[in-house]
Amino acid sequence: MAHEVNLHYRPALQWGELDPNRRQSTPVGMWAWIWQRISAIAIVFLLGLHITLTYKPLVQFLLLTVVIFHAVLGLRVILLDFNLVNVKYQKALIAGLAVLGVVMVAIIWTGIY
Amino acid sequence: MATSAHQRRVIQVFRYDPTRGGDGHYDRFEMDVAHPNSTTMLDILIRIQREQDPSVAFRYACRVNMCGSCGMVINGREGLACKTNVCDLPPDRDITLRPLNHFPVVKDLVVDMTPFFKKYEDAMPFFSPRTIEPEPAVIPPDARERQDIGLATECIQCGCCVSSCSMVNYHDGYAGPAALNRAFTLLADSREGRNAERLRAVLQSCYNCRTEFNCTEVCPKELSPTRAIKYIQRLALKHLGELSRPAGMTNATEEPAPPVAVVPFEPVLQHAGCVAGACSVAAAGGLPDDPSRRQFFRRVIMGIGAASALGVGGLLATAAVGPTLTKTPGRWIPISPMDDLAPAQVSTVTMRYEVTSGFHKETVVKPVMICRRADVNNMVVFNTTCTHLGCTVRWDAGKNIYVCACHGGQFDHEGRVIAGPPPRPLDTYRFKVENGCLMVEVV
Repeated sequence: MAHEVNLHYRPALQWGELDPNRRQSTPVGMWAWIWQRISAIAIVFLLGLHITLTYKPLVQFLLLTVVIFHAVLGLRVILLDFNLVNVKYQKALIAGLAVLGVVMVAIIWTGIY
Repeated sequence: MATSAHQRRVIQVFRYDPTRGGDGHYDRFEMDVAHPNSTTMLDILIRIQREQDPSVAFRYACRVNMCGSCGMVINGREGLACKTNVCDLPPDRDITLRPLNHFPVVKDLVVDMTPFFKKYEDAMPFFSPRTIEPEPAVIPPDARERQDIGLATECIQCGCCVSSCSMVNYHDGYAGPAALNRAFTLLADSREGRNAERLRAVLQSCYNCRTEFNCTEVCPKELSPTRAIKYIQRLALKHLGELSRPAGMTNATEEPAPPVAVVPFEPVLQHAGCVAGACSVAAAGGLPDDPSRRQFFRRVIMGIGAASALGVGGLLATAAVGPTLTKTPGRWIPISPMDDLAPAQVSTVTMRYEVTSGFHKETVVKPVMICRRADVNNMVVFNTTCTHLGCTVRWDAGKNIYVCACHGGQFDHEGRVIAGPPPRPLDTYRFKVENGCLMVEVV
């Protein structure tokens, strides 16, 4: 007589689930996406602080930095969406835009503020 | 590349026993690898099966990166077991082998690829020529279309991209990178006859891409599904007019399409859930795909959005316009004891007061010039702001005039303009003397 066995599929593993090495292997494009989301939330938070605590240099500097960081990451997506930069340069693009962001923060903070 | 020297490696293999169920766990195996440069993960797995644990389950066929059967997550990154060598992985860390994400696990490293091929089918991965030619097509290698499509036709359906894409988890109807890459190879082909239908079928999925490039990073054939998805998005933008109409659309390459005698188009905004493969999820006990429920949620979300927009907008508008509408009463600010002001002379005294406007609080520090004469009633308190462009005016005792340094404005001791561009005499403050202290009124 055949032995009856109940077989169950394990529900699909999710990204990073039970994976000790996942974080080290997260590619830079994904970090760019994650940090753009985080900076978006930070902007909302810092805007609130900016309105309640006026003329606090620390708040203003953080707001400026986060806004520019968010903007350059947005620029990355726009450039890639419209094929203005070839996708094969996507990693260099992130590095280049990060440098651009730092330069912009420096110029705005020292020159204009 | 690491040296080819002998290495002792620890391999952690994900184990799931379908007869027992549960979450799964890692089993630890240790082995000597004599030639790390030429030993693949597949060799390791076969050795584990032969030498240590014959019950380890994994899938493979060609062993030479052609069939796509042995896709798995190796050290946190998707890849083919037969393409990943031991020397590619850092020697100081354990090697972890884990089944692909987003697919039900059958046993150990073997996953059920049914969802993958279901979505693949929904993206219409087949070629249906618009005209039947008796001869094979001749495509010059430097043709624009050929270059656009490039190596995208080389996909071996290993599922690595779908496993690496974090968006597959969040969007049930998302076709995934592999299916979209396949759709792209046909959408970019002018011989293809059913592109209008295909574009509609995959369009919603394209907007689930967050440009993370995970799929591009892990693809063992070094293709870029992200590039394919961006291409489809641009194609949709180009055909935006046609897509919003329910009737036929021209072919991707702008040639007039023959009348399409196929299924009438579905509305574009239909949720991808039914277009690209989540029907199975819904049928398998997921959320019911009920239009009235969806409509309700859409209305609630739009309502919340409208309410917050109104709230924030109203607050901002009140803050911006409000202060100009209300007449703020003047405040009396003490300036100086009368005794400190020399008679028959002009004294400059700095006044200090706080101004609150909305959330904004500011301390105003501003000099005022008090022109005192012998008679108290004949005193004048001048505002030091130049009536030209707002620079600070000072008293020049030698020349007996008020001078503005910016543009050479001059006022006589009564504040009347005697030279320069100022359009009107110096402004004065209302003042009073209380308990021997001079006070001026500020707004």
